[in-house]
Amino acid sequence: MLRGKRRPPANDGLQVNNPQPQIGFSENLNETLQLLQAVYADCTDVIFHEFFIGERTKAVLIYIDGLTHIEEVDQHVLAPLQQDFPQEHTLPNIRKKIAVSSIKDVQSVDDVIAEISGGNPVLFMEGENRGLSLGLSKFEKRSIEEPTAESVLRGPREGFIETLRSNTALLRRKVRSPNLKIKSLNLGTYSGTAVAIAYIEGIAAPELVEEVMSRLRRIENDGLLASAYIEEFIEDNPASPFPQVLSTERPDVASAYLLEGHVVIIADGTPSVLIAPVTFFSLLQSPEDYYERYVVGSAIRWLRYLFFAISLLGPSLYVAVLSFHQEMIPTTLLLTVAQSREQVPFPALVEAVLMESMFEALREAGARLPKQIGSAVSIVGALVIGQAAIAAGIVSAPMVMVVAITGIASFMAPRFTVGIAIRLLRFPMMFLAGFLGFLGLILGIIVILNHLLTLRSFGVPYLSPLAPMKSRELKDVLLRVPRWMANTRPHLTGEWNPYRQAPGQRPRPPKGNNGG
Amino acid sequence: MGTTKRKSVLVLVTLSIHALLLAGCWDRTELNDLAIITAAGLDLTEDHQLELSVKIYLTSPSSSSQQMGGTSGPDKGAAGLSVVRSAVGLNMADAASRLQQLLSRRMFWGQDEVFVFGERLAKEGLAEPMEFLTRHYAPRERANVFVSKGAAKDVLLLNPPIERSVADMLREMSKSQTGLNVKMKELAQMMAGRAKAAVVPLVEIESEQENPTSFPLIRGTAVLKNGKMVGSVNDRATRGIMWLRNEIKEGTLTISPNNTKGYVSIQLLRAHTELIPHIQGDEWSITVRINARDDIVENTTDLDLSNPKHIKKLETELGYDMKQRTDMALAKAQKELNADIFRFADAFYRKYPKKWNENKDRWDDIFPKVKVKLEANPKISRPGLTGKNLFKPNQR
Repeated sequence: MLRGKRRPPANDGLQVNNPQPQIGFSENLNETLQLLQAVYADCTDVIFHEFFIGERTKAVLIYIDGLTHIEEVDQHVLAPLQQDFPQEHTLPNIRKKIAVSSIKDVQSVDDVIAEISGGNPVLFMEGENRGLSLGLSKFEKRSIEEPTAESVLRGPREGFIETLRSNTALLRRKVRSPNLKIKSLNLGTYSGTAVAIAYIEGIAAPELVEEVMSRLRRIENDGLLASAYIEEFIEDNPASPFPQVLSTERPDVASAYLLEGHVVIIADGTPSVLIAPVTFFSLLQSPEDYYERYVVGSAIRWLRYLFFAISLLGPSLYVAVLSFHQEMIPTTLLLTVAQSREQVPFPALVEAVLMESMFEALREAGARLPKQIGSAVSIVGALVIGQAAIAAGIVSAPMVMVVAITGIASFMAPRFTVGIAIRLLRFPMMFLAGFLGFLGLILGIIVILNHLLTLRSFGVPYLSPLAPMKSRELKDVLLRVPRWMANTRPHLTGEWNPYRQAPGQRPRPPKGNNGG
Repeated sequence: MGTTKRKSVLVLVTLSIHALLLAGCWDRTELNDLAIITAAGLDLTEDHQLELSVKIYLTSPSSSSQQMGGTSGPDKGAAGLSVVRSAVGLNMADAASRLQQLLSRRMFWGQDEVFVFGERLAKEGLAEPMEFLTRHYAPRERANVFVSKGAAKDVLLLNPPIERSVADMLREMSKSQTGLNVKMKELAQMMAGRAKAAVVPLVEIESEQENPTSFPLIRGTAVLKNGKMVGSVNDRATRGIMWLRNEIKEGTLTISPNNTKGYVSIQLLRAHTELIPHIQGDEWSITVRINARDDIVENTTDLDLSNPKHIKKLETELGYDMKQRTDMALAKAQKELNADIFRFADAFYRKYPKKWNENKDRWDDIFPKVKVKLEANPKISRPGLTGKNLFKPNQR
């Protein structure tokens, strides 16, 4: 690229004011203290607690107030150390005295900062050029609750929370094999957000893991406050309205994808984790499909496909028929519609755009307002866009019905990100239908389809397994086949571990009539 | 490089948006700007001009439903949801454009499902209006066609009580299969076909006393030869025509068997007619094989229908009845009208294409002499829930 923009030098916020990060601490405690106090200047939440070990050796305990379990520190660190003890006061001896399960040596300022920021108190003592980091972090976190955005009837009710470690623990509880690998890195120069990627070794393709890691390592920004930030940095086609990674708050969903060879990206601070790669059809699947019996699951999946089409095409079909193709619908229906439209001052296109944007505004207002007021908005909105608009003769009753059906259809998308993409595409489709009728509609569908066909998520074609056609994998797209028939995993990229279970597990009554 | 590409994409997007906006809407017609025609009627005026009448559905409830002046029909029926407008022109297209001048909204033919031709026009010839109706893109090929006894406009002016409009009524009545159900496409095919003969259901206006609720009725069939109406056949012969044309789908036959009092009624389940032509020397003959399966729905005779012998006998009687009906139709078509409305010509053409081509100009001479042999095989498949008549203790 010949574009003359120079990259700004990376400004590492966590290491600011740090003159020589590689150099260790001196054995003089006062020097160490001065250094660290300079780093944490004007940070009133950082506590430097000075005390004497065994009433002889000067020591200091550094921690951030609110991130450290203070009772534990008092009980298991300060209490035993402040007692007199006869042994030589060296770090290994001290280590033996402290009743804490996780103790680490820290040697550089970087390490100290990382440990303290993570909530672990760090202990320095006179005469040692190293410190001890004590694994006693404890901070306020949300308890594990059911994710409200993805509720199911029969599945597990637990959801990820904002804390990375709790989230990895939730995954580990579902996939206990040591092959579940969790790699960590810190992103964001100021936020230092801990990000972990989880995958199952032997199922996930190593190239895929490497690709995810390299895309993550490429990120350089000041703070990653949510996993959505990461999504925007790593997706394949940022201009596409369609999401190319799946975000979920459900550990069961994440584990299911892990078992199919996907990679899960967990960011500290967000309850929704990212799953990559993802296909279009997996975005139309709901966890409930797999928790209901397979007949029901398949039927509901088909219903979802149908309403997906309606949510994209509903109003534009209506507009096209009403303004171009009046001969396409049954006579009686046309006469009824014509009668109801007689008083309406707008053309069908304007009416549709008006109502659809009204509906979107209503939905957005209802979602953003506090719950108590939200219901009031929906009541007023229902009255305004429903009853009153018809009574005032601004819109026709069939249009309100079309809008309502489309609205319900768009709510049927199991992933909000897909639903919103479709809702967005509805508007250009309406304009195309209003300008060119069915011709425009087909043009729009071709453009969307073309876009979907070129789209990839981490190398996986977005419309696979339908295009490119992989007939074996259609078992989870056209149908939701029973568990005992789903013997193979879908193939994503690279290496593929095809078999997920033993064949021939179809349950049947025992043969022979023993005991009849 | 990157910037030029970006620029060209931008230009392309702008251009395509302009293309959309500039080209858009030229074909758009709002529903509010359409005069939705539900039925059209064609008549011949005294001075041999074409009068086109259309029944327009009134979409606005407030607009006054005044009738077209002059031949205003039953004005009480103005509460109906349609108006009739008509215009006179040299031909169909002329009349249509003159009619458009009378209307504030654009005529919309796309939902017109009924075309009624007046008897006078039918006798003069339907070829001219049919040319327009088949060539123009708007009228439906699947619209029903009828010939009315009297003026077609009078039929359109009716406001029958049961259905929303007279168009609905005519369409539903022809769908119910008691008479012929002829679409415009079929009429065009028949008129342009080998036999040059066509059948069109005949509409009559049935008026009850004092005329408040007169309604149209399909009664009989108009027979067209070379595009001109040459005669009509009555209801019973129409059934015969339908049998021969393999258009019978449902129906109830009531026969009175020999040697017994009362009637047996039979409901048709399935019927299939096959035409098997033969040419021997100069003698053209055709075998009509009718297979039918029936249910017995009523039996007021003292026949015991659980007895296979009686069933056999009934089947023979049924066959005889069917023969009577078809004979009536045949006699009318062959002897009186000389119109091959049974598609015999097609049957001969399919089996003897060479002979047909040699003789096709003589078909009018041959057709009256074609010997028709009827093989009726009615099968009674179900005698109903009861075997004997429960209320006649001394059944045979």
